Amino acid sequence: MSSCGAVVGGVSLDRVDIAKEAVIQGVVHHDGKPASIGYVRLHDANDEFTAEVPISSQGEFRFFAAPGNWTLVALVPGATKRAEVSAELGQITDLDLLVA
Amino acid sequence: MSRNEVLVDAEWAIAHLADEKVVFVEVDEDTAAYDTNHISGAVRLDWRSDLQDGTRRDFVSKEAFEALLGKKGISADHTVVLYGGNNNWFAAYAYWYFKLYGHKDVRLLDGGRKKWELESRELVSEVVELPVTTYVAQEQDTSIRAFRDEVIKAIGVENLVDVRSPDEYAGRLLAPAHLPQEQSQVAGHIPTAANIPWSKTAAEDGSFKSDEDLKAIYETAGVDFSKDTIAYCRIGERSAHSWFVLHELLGAKNVRNYDGSWTEYGSLVGVPVALGDEPGQA
Repeated sequence: MSSCGAVVGGVSLDRVDIAKEAVIQGVVHHDGKPASIGYVRLHDANDEFTAEVPISSQGEFRFFAAPGNWTLVALVPGATKRAEVSAELGQITDLDLLVA
Repeated sequence: MSRNEVLVDAEWAIAHLADEKVVFVEVDEDTAAYDTNHISGAVRLDWRSDLQDGTRRDFVSKEAFEALLGKKGISADHTVVLYGGNNNWFAAYAYWYFKLYGHKDVRLLDGGRKKWELESRELVSEVVELPVTTYVAQEQDTSIRAFRDEVIKAIGVENLVDVRSPDEYAGRLLAPAHLPQEQSQVAGHIPTAANIPWSKTAAEDGSFKSDEDLKAIYETAGVDFSKDTIAYCRIGERSAHSWFVLHELLGAKNVRNYDGSWTEYGSLVGVPVALGDEPGQA
């Protein structure tokens, strides 16, 4: 039985059929460089928490959402950043989250 | 059970890092996180290789659990402090598992690894090996574990609490949104189950909300605390977190975790399934 747990940086896209997924992924930046410690939370259109992943050592994260509007919340020590994003089936939506 | 008996904060943890009566145990969804760093003196439990039967879908036997904890240097007299990532998701699962086998003094580090990291507290890479013990477990306490036939009988009778995300509950997603969505079972939820996502019980830093806030979350969603309760999710991990809230923090009686959860129920032939955002009829 596979875990419900989150893989650091998000699950690899290897062996994933992108046509059946609405992927949201990106990199968290803090102080002008990729953050190495932090988390990204995915909230649905009602701002309800849906999922969370620890970022990779290069600040990377990835979600497999449903099509629609979502909010990303990046957490790093001492700072947070929210960003709106729209996901579509069969597409990979890439974005950078810049945490001041 | 009061909050002080089942939760510790960072200050308590730091004060007990060298306490021989206390063992810190990291249990993470990312089992490699421990290799990078961990709380000083902590040992690791791997939720998959240590806590799951390698052949059947079930937990390890009492004898295997005794051998595992003995090898890790944990005795039945130890105060075990569990912590992990993602709001203590897997640590709460391990907490429930320890209680299933009758460990007396188990606690969670409030906020887990996330709060510890976000507060920039010390993590080390040195791995400790504690002296081997002879651990004696109890028979499984099935008063906190629900099985599928009990769940079917509970439809429309007991509180059923689906702790997955709203999109999983409604059938729009088959797995959490950090995982690929292709699965074998049908989508939806057990009829009459209320959707109270596990994540509602945790603050953004991973710590648990106040007892008053937690009680209001469940009551607002229709949980009747005079009834028995079964919590479920996809494979019983997130619902162990909600079991902890209901049973250990709020002191609700007769709360069971259905560890078969949606991957079992959603694959059963002939059982009722509800789709959409409403609980549905019995």
